[in-house]
Amino acid sequence: MHKVAEVEVQHDIMVANKKLARKNQRILDKDRVFSVDVVGAIGSGKTSLIEAIIDAVDYKIGVIAGDVISKYDAGRFENHNVPVVGLNTGKECHLDAHLVEHALHDMPLEDIDVLFIENVGNLICPVDFDLGSHMRMVVISVTEGDDTVEKHPLIFQDADLVVINKVDLAEAVGADSDKMVRDVKELNSEVQVIKTSLKTGTGFDDVIKAIDGFITDN
Amino acid sequence: MHELSMAQAIVDTVLDAAEKNNATEVVEVTIEVGMLTMLNPEQLKFLLDVIVEDTLLANAEIIIEDVPVEIDCRSCDYTGLANTDGSDHYLSIVKCPQCDERNVEILTGKECNVKTIKIEKE
Repeated sequence: MHKVAEVEVQHDIMVANKKLARKNQRILDKDRVFSVDVVGAIGSGKTSLIEAIIDAVDYKIGVIAGDVISKYDAGRFENHNVPVVGLNTGKECHLDAHLVEHALHDMPLEDIDVLFIENVGNLICPVDFDLGSHMRMVVISVTEGDDTVEKHPLIFQDADLVVINKVDLAEAVGADSDKMVRDVKELNSEVQVIKTSLKTGTGFDDVIKAIDGFITDN
Repeated sequence: MHELSMAQAIVDTVLDAAEKNNATEVVEVTIEVGMLTMLNPEQLKFLLDVIVEDTLLANAEIIIEDVPVEIDCRSCDYTGLANTDGSDHYLSIVKCPQCDERNVEILTGKECNVKTIKIEKE
């Protein structure tokens, strides 16, 4: 005879990811590695910004390069002679703590000081997935439109540093970069917002200083 | 696609619980999805219906319950529902409806919880 029973499961998928994220942070802390989750839309300049930081600073850097299918970004970082692990998410639009844990096993953590984790180009899905990084840097650019912040508020709410990139192109694309700064501050009054152009060098030193500040405070 | 990985994780969780309880079939699954997650319940349900084929859940009724956003305001003594009316609810949730400050702790609204399952046993 069949009988129907109700089973309490109470398993939160989000909490499961958070637990894995905390595990990742413990792995990183053991080797005294400071990690930065770099989030931003496709074409905002995440890869170029990380490349520029690698070339500008003295500390030893490693990079986890998240991409949907290609190894293109991973190849770019390899050209800077730093340890790189490429992560292909396949169908997924974000990295998660589980994927990052696998990548950490392939990363020579004992030989690096700072780990950049370049997330998949997306301002929506990464909101739900803590990776266990020590800070989250959101990179957007004026070419995406100066309503980008208003359209994706949640990603800015938990950001530690926001970079508004390609400001040299603001006039050409009719974007108001000051509005973008105001929109971020409206959502997250504490966060540091830096306007940059990698082409002209505007704001780049401030990004380095800001990251240095987080490393010192950690 | 974000919802696909979540749907797969939900199915894995349900199958694990079903097998531990010696189920022959899962007849109902209740999932709680917070309004602050970047998950679309309709997409999630659609994908669940697709990926449960040939599993113990194949004929299960899938119930998705929305979890409203509750906050604890650090600036005043307000604890309770955030104002999530209107199309710009993402903006309003980070504000306390009482004192209009953004210094709030989010108590609920960020979950994707497999709450209960109903199973058939021999």
